[in-house]
Amino acid sequence: MSSFLGPVEPDGRIPPYQQTRVAAFLISAHGALARQFAFKLPARLDAAWQTELNAQFYREAEIVSLLLRATSWVLDPSLGYMVASWESAWLPAPVEGIADPRLAQMIDLAALAHAVHAGIRPAALLPLEADAQDPFVMALRRIEFESGRLLQAQILFLKGADLAPHRDAVSAALAQRHAGVRKLWRELLESIGIGAPPA
Amino acid sequence: MPFLSHGSYRIRYELVGPAGAPAHVLVNGLTQYSELWGAYCEALSARGFRVATFDLLGQGGSDKPRLFISQDDQVAALGLLIDALGDGPVFLSGISFGGLIALRYAIEHGKRLTGLVPMSCFAELSPQLLLLGNALRTGLILGGTSYLQDLLLPMNLSDQWLQPLLDKLDSVKRQGWLVNDVYALQNLMESFLDFQPLTPRLSEIAVPTMILNGEFDFLTPRGLHETLRVEIQNSSLVIIPKAYHAFTLEKGTLTVDLLARFAEDVLAGRWQGNQAVWVAPDQPGGELTPFPAGYDHLRAIPVKRALP
Repeated sequence: MSSFLGPVEPDGRIPPYQQTRVAAFLISAHGALARQFAFKLPARLDAAWQTELNAQFYREAEIVSLLLRATSWVLDPSLGYMVASWESAWLPAPVEGIADPRLAQMIDLAALAHAVHAGIRPAALLPLEADAQDPFVMALRRIEFESGRLLQAQILFLKGADLAPHRDAVSAALAQRHAGVRKLWRELLESIGIGAPPA
Repeated sequence: MPFLSHGSYRIRYELVGPAGAPAHVLVNGLTQYSELWGAYCEALSARGFRVATFDLLGQGGSDKPRLFISQDDQVAALGLLIDALGDGPVFLSGISFGGLIALRYAIEHGKRLTGLVPMSCFAELSPQLLLLGNALRTGLILGGTSYLQDLLLPMNLSDQWLQPLLDKLDSVKRQGWLVNDVYALQNLMESFLDFQPLTPRLSEIAVPTMILNGEFDFLTPRGLHETLRVEIQNSSLVIIPKAYHAFTLEKGTLTVDLLARFAEDVLAGRWQGNQAVWVAPDQPGGELTPFPAGYDHLRAIPVKRALP
């Protein structure tokens, strides 16, 4: 198994069946984050930190929109089952040790977003031969770059002083979300002939 | 690929060279990964040493803690590796961040070491280093690993090294970019948020110590190495000519030679620190020369040292 997408087509494109599955996974994950951020976003902001919720919602939505347009889609009958399993994994999960349900939900969402933004590096799958001017290639680079920035909101929240008394609960929630997201990502990559991710 | 276990974390390491031989343990800088020591493993094992390399927590093939990386854990991971080497002589070298971890190990477990080599190192965050570190962290956050590499390459390597690579810098950066994750590098950088200067404890280091500093290193300039020289009684400072912060990368054969000679001299009982200041040769095998008497080694221009 390779560590990278490909072999690329003669024009430097990533094979469309690989594009389809990778894009479907990313749309599912970032789309779920967009939806969950949207539900947390009040119609009128009453705290400074909520400006970040607004930014996160639109950037996640932008990632979905970008992939819808940049991907060379092909029919993939297996996707129905795979998408269903992914979507169920993104559903809110309880956080042990946090009594306040609102806070628990925020920690779970931040943990999921941290796992998606930190644990999935789509650009690291690109082989050297990939055409840098191809829209899908550019999209993967952009998503990885943007994820590094989006991640900062999760880092600030999860490392923040407000959650210091709950550090064990936060760490456990984060470990659980990372394990879940990485498992799905690894299984997806194996389904398109990619072994241990390079990063 | 072998791993050590520290709590729930796995630390990737590699041993090269004859078992039972005196060992060199090499500790990575912040953005490094253990494969960058490949030439050192080959050359030092050819000179009869065992060589141990590993990825720090948060680097390369070792586990990457998700929110926090403690420098205590890095020292503990290094200790596990040294324990795995048995009871023979151990020479511990580390560059930059890795040098700091090596210093901390030497302070806490100095008796286990036969020799120590801090390279491009520091025991405290001077205002310049603190602000540079903050700026590099901001660069990482805003521009990702690639941008951090873009900042570090011209800061830490010479024109002579960079010139032939100018049109292929992406390939130079690629492996480091692949194996290092933004959040993990950020956690490594943020392990300095509660950093306490080591300077008050440097005098506890009694093991022979060769401090290596690039002539043109402005990330960790001479003054930071001078603190080590002054505080560590059994030390000497060796200035690497025409070298920048990342001289282990740029001047690998010279550095290997200096590490091997230091170890051979210590084992033979020839080495004397005397807190002396030396200038390394340009090429491996050349003679070290004493810094000219009466001149100030902290200056870039030949200024007579002030008399006490």
